[in-house]
Amino acid sequence: MHTDRLRPVLLPVAAVAVAVAIGAAIVLAAGASPVAAATAIWVAAFSGTDAIAATLEKATPLLFAGLAVIVGVRAGLFNIGAQGQLLVGAITSAYAGYRLAGLPPAVHLPLCLAIGILSGALPALLAGVLRATRGVHEVIVTIMLNTILVNLTDWLAGGPWMEQGQPVSRTPAIAGSARMARVAGLPVGFLLAVAMAFVVWFVLDRTTFGFRLATVGANRNAAHYAGISVAGATVAAMTLSGALAGLGGAVESLGIVGRFEPGFNAGLGFDGITIALLARVSPRAVIPAAVLIGALRASSTQLQARARLAPEIVDVVLAIALLLVAAPLILRWLLRLRPGSCRTEVQLTRGWGA
Amino acid sequence: MYTKKATFGTVALAGLLALSLGATACGSGGSASAKPVEAPIAMKGFSGDCASKDVFCVGLVTDVGKVDDKSFNQSAWQGAARAAVAAGGHAEYIETVDPKDYAKNIQSFLDRKADVVVTVGFAIGDATATAAKANPAVHFIGVDAFQATTIPNLTGLVFNEDKAGFMAGALAGLLTKTNVVAAVLGTDKVPPVVAFGKGWENGAKFTNPKVKVLTTYHPGGLDVAFNDPTWGAQTAKQALDNTADVIFGAGGKTGNGALLEVARQQGAYCVGVDSDQWETVPGARGCLVTSAEKDIEDGVATLIGQIRDGSVKGGNSFGEVGLAPFHDFEEKVPAAVKTKIEGIVRDIGSGKIPTGVN
Repeated sequence: MHTDRLRPVLLPVAAVAVAVAIGAAIVLAAGASPVAAATAIWVAAFSGTDAIAATLEKATPLLFAGLAVIVGVRAGLFNIGAQGQLLVGAITSAYAGYRLAGLPPAVHLPLCLAIGILSGALPALLAGVLRATRGVHEVIVTIMLNTILVNLTDWLAGGPWMEQGQPVSRTPAIAGSARMARVAGLPVGFLLAVAMAFVVWFVLDRTTFGFRLATVGANRNAAHYAGISVAGATVAAMTLSGALAGLGGAVESLGIVGRFEPGFNAGLGFDGITIALLARVSPRAVIPAAVLIGALRASSTQLQARARLAPEIVDVVLAIALLLVAAPLILRWLLRLRPGSCRTEVQLTRGWGA
Repeated sequence: MYTKKATFGTVALAGLLALSLGATACGSGGSASAKPVEAPIAMKGFSGDCASKDVFCVGLVTDVGKVDDKSFNQSAWQGAARAAVAAGGHAEYIETVDPKDYAKNIQSFLDRKADVVVTVGFAIGDATATAAKANPAVHFIGVDAFQATTIPNLTGLVFNEDKAGFMAGALAGLLTKTNVVAAVLGTDKVPPVVAFGKGWENGAKFTNPKVKVLTTYHPGGLDVAFNDPTWGAQTAKQALDNTADVIFGAGGKTGNGALLEVARQQGAYCVGVDSDQWETVPGARGCLVTSAEKDIEDGVATLIGQIRDGSVKGGNSFGEVGLAPFHDFEEKVPAAVKTKIEGIVRDIGSGKIPTGVN
């Protein structure tokens, strides 16, 4: 019983450990000191309130994006569009944040968050409906939507919603009544993200709705035979996924950036795929996975300053960790593990023709 | 069960050890033969006590650029490193990965008591101004950051791009045989790019009133406008099809794409931008008659020198602009054209000829 419970945790932890060991070797090969690198990460990511807050701030969008990907994967859907949905959530909440200035904070902030959620959900809903009614693969639709949404937000930020009287394409600053502050040194956005992780866990693992999604994800035909609406589950999972990504974008605008500026949210949605895989598609495991990557990202400045390490090293370590998690065979062979129970196996998405 | 765990632990540990040892051996073997990619001037890093008055420390922060970009950021870093070494001090850089970290990256140099902080690029300008106001004892240099209001300890290193563009355009006006010249430019959202383009246009018309100037700006946002060599090449091709025979490529990699496309065409000239692109884009040597230069390296080094001797002022400092050497085209450019251009360069520099931009 003991080891069975540990097993799902063991693999990602071992993968990260091996990745860190390989990373240390790369650091040595690059002529730097792994000890200095570890010290830099510790100082930048965990020593003191500011460092911890910086780590959690970096972890927040990763958490939301990771949860968004997980909701899709549970239903057998691969939402590649988290990036686009996040961007739309970020820009619409920023727009509401400066345009509706004057509202009391108790109304303004929740309203901006809601607008971010809705506008992130919309493009995902479109992909879900196309999937459910026309059988168009959601991967293709969401990739295409990413391109459209990235360019749409660029255009809005440099055109109709651009801040006047200066040349940079960005929206005006969000009013104070819609800004998310830190509470007791902790970023509110992170607390919200952790709460969402538990909500998503509860919904997916403890409700009939979650069971329906998982059944559709495991076998669409069986789910249909059992009387579950496959179309309904598909649309619901995609919409929920987009809503989470949109909320992530809104939290980024309202809590960190203070406006929308193209380029400031680059790659966050795609990081969600990394996080979801690293967490082996478990909503609660996303929290430590996001904090880990957040810590590495937060220490990029100190890694350059103290250990003379190019910031790309962090991405190399992450990529190795992901490779080991996503291809458990390698790690199992390395560590001489026997094939695990079905809990450790994750079916990511069904094939193209299914 | 405990046995299983122990086995796992041992194997894991052994595996990790073997793996790290193996990788280390490969790594050190490899690094002996193939050197890791180095910054243009190897970073020495802060040593000694930067807080002490005798130890001079310069920190440089890029916006999302890299110090080995063969143009903008590289020249700024070379200037900073050169000046720091000349002063017997140290220089160090941080490449920004996430634009949200601008303030944090600047702060990390302030925490380590840097005497001068150089920030490179317009985008990091706001964060630089905020840091300068909060740290009056440290002097800041903002490359390409025009200062609308003067902060005593912040100097914007800016350039009269319109003058460099005018000089290059004047040369183009004299060289063109078809009386059509073109400019392939990064986004019109960045004022220096517009200044280059307008200057080019007015310069060409100054020496050749019959000339037709085709000007095209990249339509995309800031994140792609300078990184789209394909668009640059296509636009240059269109200009060539419209009989343009001197083409100005100004806009990072987008402009480089235009230069490389023109180089494939017989009999057409191209003009580079920012640094002497003869050195930085060798593939364009077949057409590159000159470059409209702004001397960022000397500008940064000079300002750091002024900070050392206390003569520096806040506000804006204008760096040098000019034309790069003709290189291979030294023979092909007629002597009469050279004389005329020398005169124009002198008169533009002294302000005798206005560029007509702003």
